[in-house]
Amino acid sequence: MGGQACVLYGAAEFSRDTDLAILADAENLARLKKALHELQAFCIAVPPLEQRFLDMGLAVHFRCQHEEAGNQRIDVMSKMRGVDDFAALWNRRTTFDFDDHSVDVLSLPDLVKAKKTQRNKDWPMIARLVESNYFRNLDSPTDEQIRFWLRELRTAELLIKLAQRYAETAPAIIALRPLLAHAMAGDLLALEAALHDEEQREREADRAYWLPLKTQLEQLRHARQ
Amino acid sequence: MADRAEIEEFCGPEWAEWYLMTPQERWEESAKLWATYLALGGSLDPEPDPQSPFFDEQEWRELFAHGGPGVRIVRRGGV
Repeated sequence: MGGQACVLYGAAEFSRDTDLAILADAENLARLKKALHELQAFCIAVPPLEQRFLDMGLAVHFRCQHEEAGNQRIDVMSKMRGVDDFAALWNRRTTFDFDDHSVDVLSLPDLVKAKKTQRNKDWPMIARLVESNYFRNLDSPTDEQIRFWLRELRTAELLIKLAQRYAETAPAIIALRPLLAHAMAGDLLALEAALHDEEQREREADRAYWLPLKTQLEQLRHARQ
Repeated sequence: MADRAEIEEFCGPEWAEWYLMTPQERWEESAKLWATYLALGGSLDPEPDPQSPFFDEQEWRELFAHGGPGVRIVRRGGV
């Protein structure tokens, strides 16, 4: 669900780990532990791999020691802010088929939601992810794609172009995203300011979401010491 | 797919080239970067990320600030 998914969808991230979204139930955790054991992976930070911590929304961090795993790090999560539960994510997943293997990743709309964090680096990533999808499907977009772009595009010039091109669809999305009014009016400056405000609101919401979880993490660190 | 000129107008030539690749091509290019990074002694340890809710400076120092191989600035010009 992390950097590798971003690369597949058209953004670019030099991620140093592999982020996995998993179903956190007893049966699947047993399977995950077996796979981690094969990779000779060990937990490198709090919390330990327990369902209750995954259910809280915390990530569990591992490093692999198997020689073929090249010291890779793996982060595991099962719950993310603003993103549906695993069953819905799995039903909407995208599968990329390669010659000798396939990779399941979050659907693009889900990945974009998961990237709406408090970190600076995630926001240009969201812009690239949506831009890439826009340019790839511009010639004959589905209604679902047009609505997705209207909800998520972060490039002001493209959003103006889109809102004016699909003037019959945009009004239906304005209730969800009021800044589309600036896009429809072609007001670049107002739109850029509104996009900035939109980002700040999401970042603040992410900080608020993480506040109790960070307290939980601090308690776990203290308990470990 | 939009044509290259249209993408370049908004994003510049490098991003246009990246967007125009297939997912497999991007995956392979990304793998090449990895190979180069590791061949140059790059580390898989995370960069300190104070904006991440998971980041704890003390924990990061204990786990990763070991003086091992990584990418460092060895010369900086101007600012």
